[in-house]
Amino acid sequence: MAERDPMQPSDSDIATAGEYVLGTLPQPERQEFARRLETDEALQHQVRLWQTQFSPLTDEVTAVPVPQHVWAGLQARLFSDTATPGQTGVPRFWRWLGIGSALVAASLLAVVLLDPLSTIGPQAPADERLWVSDMVSQDGEIRLAALYDEDKGEMRVSVGGQAPGEGRDWELWLIKDEMAPISLGVMPRQGTAAMPIPDELRALVADATLAITDEPAGGSPQGVATGPVVAAAQLRRI
Amino acid sequence: MPVPNDLADMLARVAMRDRAAFSRLYQATGPKLFAICLRILKDRTEAEDALQDIFVKIWHSADRYSTAIASPQAWLNTVTRNHAIDLLRARKPGGGDLDAAETLADDAPTPEDSAVTASEGRRIDACISALNPPRGEAVRLAYVEGDSYIELSQRFDVPMNTMRSWLRRSLIQLRECLSHG
Repeated sequence: MAERDPMQPSDSDIATAGEYVLGTLPQPERQEFARRLETDEALQHQVRLWQTQFSPLTDEVTAVPVPQHVWAGLQARLFSDTATPGQTGVPRFWRWLGIGSALVAASLLAVVLLDPLSTIGPQAPADERLWVSDMVSQDGEIRLAALYDEDKGEMRVSVGGQAPGEGRDWELWLIKDEMAPISLGVMPRQGTAAMPIPDELRALVADATLAITDEPAGGSPQGVATGPVVAAAQLRRI
Repeated sequence: MPVPNDLADMLARVAMRDRAAFSRLYQATGPKLFAICLRILKDRTEAEDALQDIFVKIWHSADRYSTAIASPQAWLNTVTRNHAIDLLRARKPGGGDLDAAETLADDAPTPEDSAVTASEGRRIDACISALNPPRGEAVRLAYVEGDSYIELSQRFDVPMNTMRSWLRRSLIQLRECLSHG
């Protein structure tokens, strides 16, 4: 089924989009093209088409084993928290806050302040039975935070920033190791809510990742995530 | 043992911050993406650093591919080539640095585009073969080796403007062939 682009791009645009994807487009023109690309959907379509169409050309490139130190370095860069065990809760909490964005800090603190359990602070001893996950969308527009209390088996969630679209809801998922994501329920559209965690799931919460997907109102009808991931973050002990 | 069909699933899990899936994705695709970096950068140390940067990007932006149902390889290739060519052009004065490369990952194929072209698959080979041999080779070198117009014009011993009009005409022919072939 040949797709006809309703906008019928000119030959010149087709060629320039191709040069852009190949990386041969000379710099001044490249900048000009990138500017047009920001708003021109037909041009974006051309770029994506070329990217997809050229991609099989790498089949001829024979895979080369990667030296072990690359993976080690990658883990250190991305997951350095795993490389520093033995930290006490409080410094770790503040260290984590420090490296998060201001928005992350704001959304997390909103939960902490709204929660009667908010004994977390530089003076208070860390509560070993509390976990937090901050979830911020790529553009920073959507901010969600969750605070899990192991003793109560309760997840306090807080929604800030942009709300889900009309007829849509954010759905919260628990992701643990190799298991398929497990729905924890639909998030409130704004503000905070308490989501009780069923007994059988409580053992899974430690170190799990929480993620939010964009679903039809009321949550995914199939019980599996159908919409794009809005934001995700691992639960960390505080 | 990962198979290509798992790539979309791995990317979706990576978008959900699943480190085990990230490790599997790395094992499954790292050697190929490393080879792509090596072909473009032609320097082992630089390619190793580039690969690390690329996987950092993948970790942080896999959610842009989370709804994908087809051609995760095209997305990975795009992220990889953009980064490697960006480094290459920055290294060679006159090659023109691709400062827009950061945003290129955003333009990576969407599932919709992938679905449209998935059936075309290897047609690119047939369409490149249909071009005059040196012109098809120029397209291939630009994509796989990251050659600039300067390098292509030296390789084929033609003026740069000639090289460029060859390539642009080849691209128009290619698209014609890919849409109707």
